[in-house]
Amino acid sequence: MAANAGNKIRNAKLVLLGDVGAGKSSLVFRFVKGQFVEFQESTIGAAFFSQTLAVNDETVKFEIWDTAGQERYHSLAPMYYRGAAAAIVVYDITNPASFTRAKKWVQELQAQGNPNTIVALAGNKADMLDARQVPAEEAKTYAQENGLFFMETSAKTAINVNDIFYEIAKRLLQGQQDPSPQAGMVLNQRPNERMVSSSSCCS
Amino acid sequence: MDKKKAIDETEPGVAPSRAVDRFGFIKSEQSNSPDGIPKGKSIHEREREEKRIRKWRKMIGVGGSDWKHYVRRNPHVVKRRIRKGIPDCLRGLVWQLISGSRDLLLMNPGVYETLVIYETSASELEIIRDISRTFPSHIFFQQRHGPGQRSLYNILKAYSVYDRDVGYVQGMGFLAGLLLLYMSEEDAFWLLVALLKGAVHAPMEGLYQAGLPLVQQYLSQFEKLVMEHMPKLGQHFVEEMINPSMYASQWFITVFSYSFPFHLTLRVWDVFLYEGIKVVFQVGLALLRFCHDDLVKLPFEKLLHALRNFPEEATDPDVLLPIAFTFKVSSRLEDLKKEYQKRLEGTSETSSSKRHQPLISKTMSRVGSRVISNLTADKK
Repeated sequence: MAANAGNKIRNAKLVLLGDVGAGKSSLVFRFVKGQFVEFQESTIGAAFFSQTLAVNDETVKFEIWDTAGQERYHSLAPMYYRGAAAAIVVYDITNPASFTRAKKWVQELQAQGNPNTIVALAGNKADMLDARQVPAEEAKTYAQENGLFFMETSAKTAINVNDIFYEIAKRLLQGQQDPSPQAGMVLNQRPNERMVSSSSCCS
Repeated sequence: MDKKKAIDETEPGVAPSRAVDRFGFIKSEQSNSPDGIPKGKSIHEREREEKRIRKWRKMIGVGGSDWKHYVRRNPHVVKRRIRKGIPDCLRGLVWQLISGSRDLLLMNPGVYETLVIYETSASELEIIRDISRTFPSHIFFQQRHGPGQRSLYNILKAYSVYDRDVGYVQGMGFLAGLLLLYMSEEDAFWLLVALLKGAVHAPMEGLYQAGLPLVQQYLSQFEKLVMEHMPKLGQHFVEEMINPSMYASQWFITVFSYSFPFHLTLRVWDVFLYEGIKVVFQVGLALLRFCHDDLVKLPFEKLLHALRNFPEEATDPDVLLPIAFTFKVSSRLEDLKKEYQKRLEGTSETSSSKRHQPLISKTMSRVGSRVISNLTADKK
């Protein structure tokens, strides 16, 4: 997962959205630290992490914003998804209400977010099959209809966690090579970290 | 940060037996951070501590009977002593006296019980989901359905009934949890009410109302203060596109009770309950001042990391608080609040701006009158 020396490193802002207790922080923890904590302290406000991922001969550095899930904190979210190159909308496969909430986040991203943001839908807690309440088919169909890519993940057992980030990284890099004018917008840039390969700026 | 670490599954109903620090937080193996008490106190230090406690006992009187009288005659002595830290064995009682919660409790007999036992709340499921995620590394809150978790649930549920407009909001649990470590459930509930409804200081319920109006206001005020007191750092934040909501929203929403060393949290709360929210601004500024020369050199990502992981020296209350008190912010905070409100009114005349109006306690008269007969009785 470590960046190879000499590579171009591309920074990408990524935001996690989803209902309370869906497992947003746990997914990030698993991805960034390789750990799982059963009783993860609630996220207040938002938390920031970063992690690099090598894809072929290129490296993506994710700047990850992990947001608070509760509806009341909704007003803080736009700041984190605006200008994001990617978003992971997380729900809990054992909790249908969290799937409904995930759909609302997708709608909001479609309405308010950057059209080039890559949106992934993660059905988390996939290790708890006995308690499943959201059929994988249903989520898959929904994802297809809405142009998202979908994976069921488990932060607890690490299933598909690296994969979902890897898939995002791959798509980001593909978008980068795309010569269309908006392509550069998927990657978040600050003035001092401007990438040579892209021209436009976001947020 | 250290509170977040390594907790394995706890079997329901079985209390874990692991090494805890003096506040009851389970020690993580890799952490060797001091818990605020120097190892092996000298006899001299212990004597000084005992003398301090005797002074405090005298000041308070039996069960708090002399407190109001003492405060009226010697407000500055009280302020000075509180800034040095309330002795831990008296903390729970003193917190209730300085916050005005003791009066609320006495004025509302039986109310808490009614809220807990007879009322139902729309937030019950939400609260339950968060219970095991509040101070998960504290021994008192670790046991599933144990007394700590039950009390925490009761308080949060009671509050969500008491003010149905606000209901339950993530973050409240950390306030309630902190209080529960120092007082009974009912006492902690009334202290929460005193803070959010404003018994002594301005009400803080705006931290948790729709749109988080008070969080927005505090962050805006804080950003301005940083610019005024540390222009170079303020400018650096602008250049790196860092705004205070990225690092300071938890400071305000939980009054430093979230991911800060507990001995610092307690000392901040001593002052916070007596002097009000301004100490959160002061401590925030002090953290930035302490790390100023490093922070101005850091690029975005490292900067964010540094703002969320302050070095151990920076979070020593005996170092940090004296720096904090050098920032004189009271009158500036008032001006900035007025500016902020003016800006809000200016930007939108629509209904949404009404929701964002901070500090005005709309629910106070409606909800408050039912149970509180005279909230301002103890105004200093």
